[in-house]
Amino acid sequence: MAVAQRSGRARYRLGLLILTALALLTLDFRGYGPLDTAQSRVRDLLQPVVSAVDVVLGPVAEVWTVMFSYNDLRDENAELRAEVDRLRTADIRQDAGSEAFARLLAATAVDYVDDVEVLAASVLRDSVGNFDDDVISIDVGRRDGVAPGMAVVTEAGLVGRVDAVDAALSTVTTISNPSLAVGVRLLDTGEVGLGHGVAGRPEQFVIDTGLRWPDTGDPAELPEVGSAVVTAAASRYPADIPVGRVVSVEPVEAGLVQMVTVELAADTRDLGYVSVLLQPPKDEPPVGPESPFPEGLR
Amino acid sequence: MTALRLVPVVLVALLLQLTLFVEVRVAGVAPELPALVAMLAGLLAGAHRGSLIAFVVGLAWDVYLSTPIGLAAASFALVAYAVGGVTEDLFHDTRIQTVAVVFLGTAASVTVYALLGGLLGQHGLIDDDLMGIVLLSSAMNAALALPTAPAVRWALALHPSRTRLRSVPAGPTAR
Repeated sequence: MAVAQRSGRARYRLGLLILTALALLTLDFRGYGPLDTAQSRVRDLLQPVVSAVDVVLGPVAEVWTVMFSYNDLRDENAELRAEVDRLRTADIRQDAGSEAFARLLAATAVDYVDDVEVLAASVLRDSVGNFDDDVISIDVGRRDGVAPGMAVVTEAGLVGRVDAVDAALSTVTTISNPSLAVGVRLLDTGEVGLGHGVAGRPEQFVIDTGLRWPDTGDPAELPEVGSAVVTAAASRYPADIPVGRVVSVEPVEAGLVQMVTVELAADTRDLGYVSVLLQPPKDEPPVGPESPFPEGLR
Repeated sequence: MTALRLVPVVLVALLLQLTLFVEVRVAGVAPELPALVAMLAGLLAGAHRGSLIAFVVGLAWDVYLSTPIGLAAASFALVAYAVGGVTEDLFHDTRIQTVAVVFLGTAASVTVYALLGGLLGQHGLIDDDLMGIVLLSSAMNAALALPTAPAVRWALALHPSRTRLRSVPAGPTAR
């Protein structure tokens, strides 16, 4: 009898807990502000302790890294990455200076990224969990003027979007995250579309929405392999941030739509420093008949 | 009193996860310390109290995860409830049992977390890496189970000779 009673109470409590979790999930999905604020406050409260423990345990982690990751190789790798980033940016900027690009910019009257105030930040840590490969934490937050939705870049190009902002640090979802849709423009053809990262392929980005396959079927109307891709003026982010280079173009959806695979300009896997573009974020992507993006995936 | 004792245990687990185990990983996989505490709570405190403790631990962990809040809490509570229920009368309390239960419980909680997240449309939870993450994190948690169990026992105010709170007659310490 007592066992049955205890079992019944346990089931009842579990039911209440699951209902609570469902309520929290629903509020989170609806973007309920106070819930985000409460989480941010908890993180703010614990941040000094986390930092202190990080300092204390840093040497232990460093020993592990030296034993298994070879510090020298990491430094050398970082230098090589920085060099590759510089070369990629130089190439893309060269394209950006081309006549076709200048014409596009003139037609859309967009602002250059150069006009946006930039805030440098260092990457505090990569993912904390085992499933957060596309999330990093940076050491700037509300007190530095950072807000959710701001673009995060490196010298090479777009790295991601500020997701959660605490007082002194922020969480960034990187462009390699498949759920982060980015409005992009192909410099070669001037077309705009929506793209996203590819699960398990942090160096790749796919544009699979908004680009129609040419009616004539003429390959000359397709973006050239190696041509540059930048953020679109109508996207949530400042225009003309380098995103990457076209690797391949394939027809999908019965040959009606282009699927453009892009190699990302910025390597999101081993970031040391990034820059936050302090342009007020667009909370919602543009909607209405003028939007270059199709319904549903804005 | 028990709640007060649980705070430092949960906090230490969370802090280690947020600092040390961001770097110290095996094949890119870290142990799941919050899940470890949750599973031990299910094992030692039983389904009734264990599920509540696991929920709170999951909620604390949710604050730092990029997935929606409530996902880890629900996963931990469900699995801790199952752990508490299944182990109540089936086993004698041994070290082997603790390790085995933590291994299986962690595997179940990580899997449930990924499946629930996938159902809710979260990307990157169900992919080719899932099996590796489940096995490695469970193995690491199992390895950490024995050093962690005394801390959880202390937090639950369990007498050293009694390994489960539900064995204790109803009274102030069992509440």
